Order: sequence, then C-alpha cells, then structure tokens
Amino acid sequence: MTGRPVYFISTILIMSFSYVFFLTFFNEGQPNKMPIAVVDLDHSSVSRQFTRNLEVMQHCHIVMRLNSHKEAREEMQLGNIYAFVEIKRNFAKDAVSNLRPSITFYVNDAYLIAGSLISKDITYISAVTSIGMQQKVLRAKGVEENRIKGIIQPIVTDSHLIGNPWANYGTYLLNVILPGILQLMVLMMTVFPIGVEYKERTSREWLKSSGNSMFAALTGKLLPYTFIFTILGIIGNMLLFRYMHYPLNSGIGWMFLATFLLVLSSQAVGILFIGITPVLRDGVTFSGLFGMLGVTFAGSTFPIEQMPAGTRIFSNFFPIHHYFNIYVNQALNGIGMQYSLLSVIALLSFSILPFFVFIRLKKAAINQNFPIK
Amino acid sequence: MKIIHKPTSANKVISIAKDILAVVKNEFRTMFKDRGVVIMLVLAPLAYPLLYCSLYKNETLIDVPVASVDCSRSKESRELLRHIDATQNVQIISRYGTLAEAKQAYNKKKVHGVIYIPADFSKKIISGDQTTVSVYADISSFMYYRIINQACSNCIMAMGNQIQVERLNANGITGESATILSNPIPFEGVVLYNEGAGFASFLMPAVLILILFQTLFLGIGIIAGTSRGENRFHVLVSSSVQRGETFRVIIGKSICYFTLYASWSFFILMLIPRVFNLPHIGIPFDILMLLIPFLLASIFFSMTISVFMPHRETSMIVFMFMSLILLFLSGVSWPQSNINGFWKVFAWLIPSTNGIQGYIKINSLGADLRHISFEYISLWVETAVYFATTCWAYYWQINKSKNKSDMQEENQEDDSIEAVLG
Repeated sequence: MTGRPVYFISTILIMSFSYVFFLTFFNEGQPNKMPIAVVDLDHSSVSRQFTRNLEVMQHCHIVMRLNSHKEAREEMQLGNIYAFVEIKRNFAKDAVSNLRPSITFYVNDAYLIAGSLISKDITYISAVTSIGMQQKVLRAKGVEENRIKGIIQPIVTDSHLIGNPWANYGTYLLNVILPGILQLMVLMMTVFPIGVEYKERTSREWLKSSGNSMFAALTGKLLPYTFIFTILGIIGNMLLFRYMHYPLNSGIGWMFLATFLLVLSSQAVGILFIGITPVLRDGVTFSGLFGMLGVTFAGSTFPIEQMPAGTRIFSNFFPIHHYFNIYVNQALNGIGMQYSLLSVIALLSFSILPFFVFIRLKKAAINQNFPIK
Repeated sequence: MKIIHKPTSANKVISIAKDILAVVKNEFRTMFKDRGVVIMLVLAPLAYPLLYCSLYKNETLIDVPVASVDCSRSKESRELLRHIDATQNVQIISRYGTLAEAKQAYNKKKVHGVIYIPADFSKKIISGDQTTVSVYADISSFMYYRIINQACSNCIMAMGNQIQVERLNANGITGESATILSNPIPFEGVVLYNEGAGFASFLMPAVLILILFQTLFLGIGIIAGTSRGENRFHVLVSSSVQRGETFRVIIGKSICYFTLYASWSFFILMLIPRVFNLPHIGIPFDILMLLIPFLLASIFFSMTISVFMPHRETSMIVFMFMSLILLFLSGVSWPQSNINGFWKVFAWLIPSTNGIQGYIKINSLGADLRHISFEYISLWVETAVYFATTCWAYYWQINKSKNKSDMQEENQEDDSIEAVLG
C-alpha cells in the first residue's frame, strides 16, 4: 500500500484537502455583506435614512451609489453587484403628500443564493420603513397606541426552521458534500487495489496468499481501507459537529455509525463494479461516474421527490442516499432511531452485493482472461 | 504570397503541416480505439448534460406536501389555509388536531412542513389584536424551506392587508386614504435573469461548463497516463520524437481535442439550453469568442497536468472529486464576492472558473464581450501560460526519455562486455 503515491493521495491527502477546503471556504456559514448598489435619485433625508437602514442588514453591503438605472444594470451584468435599489425622484415629497411613491429593487437570481438572501433583507427593510410611516400617521390621527400594532400587522408569520435554526448554508452543503467525497474515494479505492491485481497479472499470487479463498483475499485487501476511511469519516464528523458546531440533535455516535456503514456499503458497491468487469480502467470509470451521481441522489440540493418519476426508486441504489436520511433524522431532526431503521437496514443490505461476484472474481483471478488495458 | 517565392520555406511549412496532421490523425485513432477514453471524451459530455437537465427540469418545487394544525377552526383560518393550498408550490395533504400529531407525520416524511394556527386566531382578528401563524419548515434541503416559507408568508401577508384596510375603516380612515395607508410605500421587487428563481436555470449553466472542463481534463489525463504506463521508459512521449518536433506534437494533439470539444460545446452550450429552456439570451458570437480561449486554456492546462499522470487510472482517481470543489470555486452558488483571498487566486488559476463566470454573464445576464473583459483576458493569459508550461513539460519528458534510452544502451554494452569477460 505504500508503494505508489496514489494510495496516500487518494485516502489521506484528498480527504484532508477537502476538509481544509470546505471548512475554510464556508467558514462564514452564510454569505454576508454581499455587494449591492443604490440608485438614489431623490437625495432626501428619507431616502438616505432608507439607505442607512439597508447598510446594517446582515447580507447587504452597499458598495456603489449610482446615478442611473442603466449604470446599475451594467454593474449587475459585470457581476459587481447582486442587486440594486432604485429610489425615484421626489420620493420624500410624494411620501409626505400621500402620493404613494414606490421603491423598486432589482435582484439577480442567476446567482440564486445571493439573490434570495439579499432580497429577503431588502424586503424586510422596506416593510420596516412602511411600518414606521404607518405608525406616524396613526399616531397623528390619535389612534390608541395598543390598537396600532394590530392595525399595522394583523397577522405575524412566525417561521421555524426545523433543526437548523440559523439557516446556515454550510450545514446544508457540507453534510452531504463531505460524505459525498468520502464515498467517491471509498469506491475508487476499492476498485483500484483489487483491479490492479488483475491488471498487473498478480491475481493468482494474491489469491494463493489468502488460501484460495476469495472472501479472505478481499477482506485482507479492503480491511485497511475500511479502517482508514472510517477514521477519516469520523474526523469529518468531529469537524462538522464539534469544531464547527453544526446542528446535532442526537448523539454523535449515530453519525459515527452512519459513517462506518457508508464506508462499508460503498466498498460493497465497489466490489460489485470490479466484479462485473475485472478490468481496472472500467471499474474506475464506473465508480467515478456512480460516485459523482451519488452527490445528486443524496437528495440535499434538489429534493428527490420533485425529480422525474422513477428517480425515487433509483436513488435507493446509492448508499449516500440512506446516509443522508440518517443524518436528517438523527443530527438534524433529532428523532427516534426507529425512523432511521430502514436506512440502516438498507445500508447493511448492500453487503450482500459482493457475494454475487465472488465466483466471477475468483475465476478471473485464476484464468486471468480479461484484458489488462 | 511569400511562400510561392520561397520554395524552401514553403516546403518546410508543408512538412510541418504534414507532421501536425499525422499527429492529429494518430491522436484521433488512439482516442476512438480506447473504450475508457471514448466514455470520457464522447459519452460523458453527451449523456451528462441530458441526465442532469432532466433531473432538475422542474426548476422549482411543485405541491410540496405540508400538514395543517387548525386549532381555530374558524371561517378565517379555513380561508387562509385554502389560499395556501391553492398556491402552486404547496399542498396541504393532511389536517391534524394537535402539533404532536403533525410532528409524527413530519418525522415519517409524509409532510415537509406544518402550518399551525392558534385557537385564538379568529377571536383576535375580530377583536382587532395582532395574531400569529406559525410555519415549521423542513430544512434538510434549502429548497423546501424557501418554498414553504415563501408560499405561506405571501398568503398571510395578503390576508393581513385585507384585514388592515377593514381595521383602518373601523378607526375612521376610509376610502382612498385607507388604501394608501395600508401600503404607504409600494415595494416592487423585480427578479432579473432568472425570473422564476429556478434551480436549473441557476445551477445548470455552471454545470454545463464544468462538464466540458472535467471530461476534457480527465480524458486527456487518461490518454497521457496510458501512453506513459505503456511506454518502455515510463515517459509520456516516445523517444522517436525528435526534440525539435515537440511543438508539432503539442499543436497536433491540441487541434484534435479542440475540434472534438468545439462540436460538444455547440451541443452543450447552444442546443441544450434551448431544448431544456435554460437561460439563453447571449449572443452566439460572444459565446464563441469566449469559448476559444476557454477551450485552449483548458486543453493546455490539462496537458500540463497530464504529464504527471503515471497510469491511466490516476487522473480519474485523484481528480474526480475536484468537480465538486471547482463548482464552488466558480462563485455561482457561494458568491464570488465572499470567497476569501487565497481561494480566489486558486480559483482564478483554473480555466473553469473564468469560463463559468464568462458564460453565465453572457448567456444568463446578457452581457457582451466588453463586460466580461476580465474573464476573457484572463483566459487568454491562461492559454499563453499553460501553453508554455505544456511545452516545458513535454520537453522535459522527451529529454528524460532520451536520457533513459541512452543509458539503457550503455548498460547493454556493459552487459555484453561483462559477458565477454565473464
């Protein structure tokens, strides 16, 4: 295992690099203070107040004050700003004389995350501005103070985000991307060490050294990887839940177990791939394509239910799909383990897969009748 | 033309062209003979865009199942729930008496959200007090939470406005002034470039460019790894290539990759967005102009790195995972403005970043070439730099190969001398 650098690179180095990359990349949790512009054609104290209010919001940072709509739109196309607010001429005057001046904001949803976070902030500020104005008018009209609240906002929406109260963007992504990379590398490093025995025509010696038992040969070959990847996965869990303090509403032990099962089931899928064609290059290609699809089929980015019919069944063939279910149930929602039982059973049942290809692998190891290129 | 007057240089040009053509032909032949390369350079760029586009074709979530807990059981609460149910995005599939029952359904993943209306809801509406509606949303996916919250708060706000006008009337503010006061500063939000806030329209343009880049990168890696793995001296270019011919080999290979990927680009960047109705407001000429340096930079970048691939499997094993990292580095989902200094520089070094940003700006935001001068110039700079590194890397390989074959000849002589002496 120490011979070629690829063994070290594709286990410890790639996983460490991924941890360092994603944790330094998402260390803010949410993209804060994103650049926006204000087109203030009014230049009044009211419009300046509005701008100041906007400045204190979490997601916005006013980087430009422009003089025309056209300029602002060009800056948006240049990618320098994600949104801009346009305050029309005579805004303050119209507001005082009850002419209902409007504020327009333009947001670039081609960058969906930036766009939706900023538009949430701007909507909030505009609501606050409206409420302030209503308060002033109602007080002037002599409406009782305890009635004002009910008039201004008759129904309040009280929104709860189950499990991730801060809507932390890193939480969504890293809990699927890091296990996603883990399962990809496990797949690769199952197919590679086995396939290389066939490619280099050393499969007979390999089989002989484990007493002509395919089971023993595979176990001996893969156990070190089970160990290394489980440790690496657990380090990942510790980084997310202990170091970054991402929501964990269950014992961390459940996540360790899920990680271990993910490693094990991915290895089983890997054996299946190299068993179907004991040709190294095809095995690597299959597991690469399968591993990348896994990240999509975990169901975090876009819900599986909303994908075309049949996808739901198909997603069950990906170990990471079940891992993600366990994560949602345990870490995010903190509900009883009985809800995740099915996912655990699914992950365990992947270990049946190698038995389908044992005989095939053994025959190929002895006959060496597959192309090496 | 000069060539006619100088037959010697004309001959030279023809011989160079012939050499390059031979390399192109040879490269195409090796490519299509190798199943792995065909999968990576032909099948993947054709199948992946179709697959991902069909998976994300819904763009937004439709009729997400939610539960309602209506403790008020009044005309008002029923009206609100009816409005929420009528939205495109949310569907109330079950009604429960208590929050605990609803939570049970949520835990079983039957619903992705719960709307809770308190018992005093209608009482407070009638008495003129402020009341609350609670919305609990699944956050396992960003989409659920956004869609459920949006649908509910829109309906609640609309109902609130209605009640507001009634209450203003009750307080002696009537007619036009009540309407004005209920919404003193009309606020208009205009969503640009992705009007439906669609998921595919947002993510797919970046994924399309990334598919081009990654398949090209991995494909070139496989080809280089194969020839190194099979070469006697474990180097990329066989020693039969003369030192002066490196240039021709590089040009020949890059012509081969470029022609292949120019056709894939047409399919992926022109046809796919039209078939799947992704943003496509860019001027085709501008996309073409961006594409030339993007493909060249990607080809030379890949050729440089490919020199270090000792075996055909290495590039796949070691670089497949980078697809995910490159997607984030491109600054599409996590905004570019919020990428810290080190990773920004790192991102800039890889052609996919500028390719993705340039393509989105042209094709989704309707920018033209002068708007993307940064990305455009960066890609040409990268083309130049990576061309130089490719030449250097190939020279290095050829020298290594020459030295090794020289050394082996010497060794063989030594062996024969020893044999004679022995």
